[in-house]
Amino acid sequence: MAATMFRYVLRGWSIGVPPGCGLRRLSQTQGTSDYPRFLESVDEYRFVERLLPPTSIPKPPKHEHYPTPCGWQPPRDPPPNLPYFVRRSRMHNIPVYKDITHGNRQMTVIRKVEGDIWVSGWIGQGPILTSGMKGQEPL
Amino acid sequence: MQQLVRAGARAWLRPRGCRGLNALAEEAVQPAEKPEPLASAGPQAPVLRRCELPVPLHRRPVQAWVESLRGYEQERVGLTELHPDVFSTAPRLDILHQVAIWQKNFKRISYAKTKTRAEVRGGGRKPWQQKGSGRARHGSIRSPIWRGGGVAHGPRGPTSYYYMLPMKVRVQGLKVALTVKLAQDDLHIVDSLELPTADPQYLMDLARYRRWGDSVLFVDLEHEDMPQNVVAATSGLKTFNLVPAIGLNVHSMLKHQTLVLTLPTVAFLEEKLLWHDSRYTPLYPFRLPYQDFP
Repeated sequence: MAATMFRYVLRGWSIGVPPGCGLRRLSQTQGTSDYPRFLESVDEYRFVERLLPPTSIPKPPKHEHYPTPCGWQPPRDPPPNLPYFVRRSRMHNIPVYKDITHGNRQMTVIRKVEGDIWVSGWIGQGPILTSGMKGQEPL
Repeated sequence: MQQLVRAGARAWLRPRGCRGLNALAEEAVQPAEKPEPLASAGPQAPVLRRCELPVPLHRRPVQAWVESLRGYEQERVGLTELHPDVFSTAPRLDILHQVAIWQKNFKRISYAKTKTRAEVRGGGRKPWQQKGSGRARHGSIRSPIWRGGGVAHGPRGPTSYYYMLPMKVRVQGLKVALTVKLAQDDLHIVDSLELPTADPQYLMDLARYRRWGDSVLFVDLEHEDMPQNVVAATSGLKTFNLVPAIGLNVHSMLKHQTLVLTLPTVAFLEEKLLWHDSRYTPLYPFRLPYQDFP
């Protein structure tokens, strides 16, 4: 049984010819001789590139009137003549935040302060910023 | 030395717009490598490099001498400006400690493992009856109180100590390390790492003449563009090491007494480290393509 099957397979496919050759010969008799051609194109990648997000934060655009409708004001140029300086955050906002601990201790946090906040001429007070005299001349 | 550290700290503390403080003190506050004033008769050192990236309005760039390795005496070939947010930032020693400890520990996998009382061979049977034998009561001969028994709370299997600090903390660690090196006179900027000979002894004598210390870390920009002489000289020495700019790390900077950067390396470091100050938080990892990165 197995031997007859084996001889039948051998008769159909001669030794050395890869399988499927017989099928190809059938399609060749119908006329089209090649596989369909294709063309590689990288130009359509621009539809992907315009969807990729940027990484660096842009500078805010110039407005005619300040403050803007949302209340934003650009930093003063040139910077005020004070012994300390408070930088803007990376989104160009004022770095003042609220903090709450223990459920009832509310604090205001001012980050990104550089310079001398303990002004030596201000006797008996804390840092100049906490006394509410932000931006004013010390006595 | 202490005066220089104090001077460096004062230079950081006093921003540009300060008033009422004497200008003389401010002049003295700049690092000791300030050039001669214009009135002197000597030839002017050319400024070889200015900061390309925008400097904040309330701060000025820090200046450093540019040296050359081609001769023993070439210690003031030019002057370069360094960005204050990279080379004159707050001396956050706690961030330095965090990053140095992270570098040491995140690669650690401890392979220690002990057997518990369940894994030690034997010990399934009660050694003697509960009552009547006069001895203490025991359930197995491999309990932790027995000699040859298992360990009660020992190390269990390979343990990984991997953790990642936030990217911005690691970046700030690099900035603080560069600041500290510059403030303590351990940072030297060189126009390029070209040596006249490939002899390791030349490098050692140069370092001894310029009092650089026992260990020096040379940083070039690309691995492929390193001059052959310096590669050969540093490969023969144990304490003088050469790394590309991407291999700069806090532990190496603290381990070596002196740090030598080239001018292209300084530009590269400033650009890469300052990019993190004005970037969005990543929507997906930065190794995937973005519109303007890399």
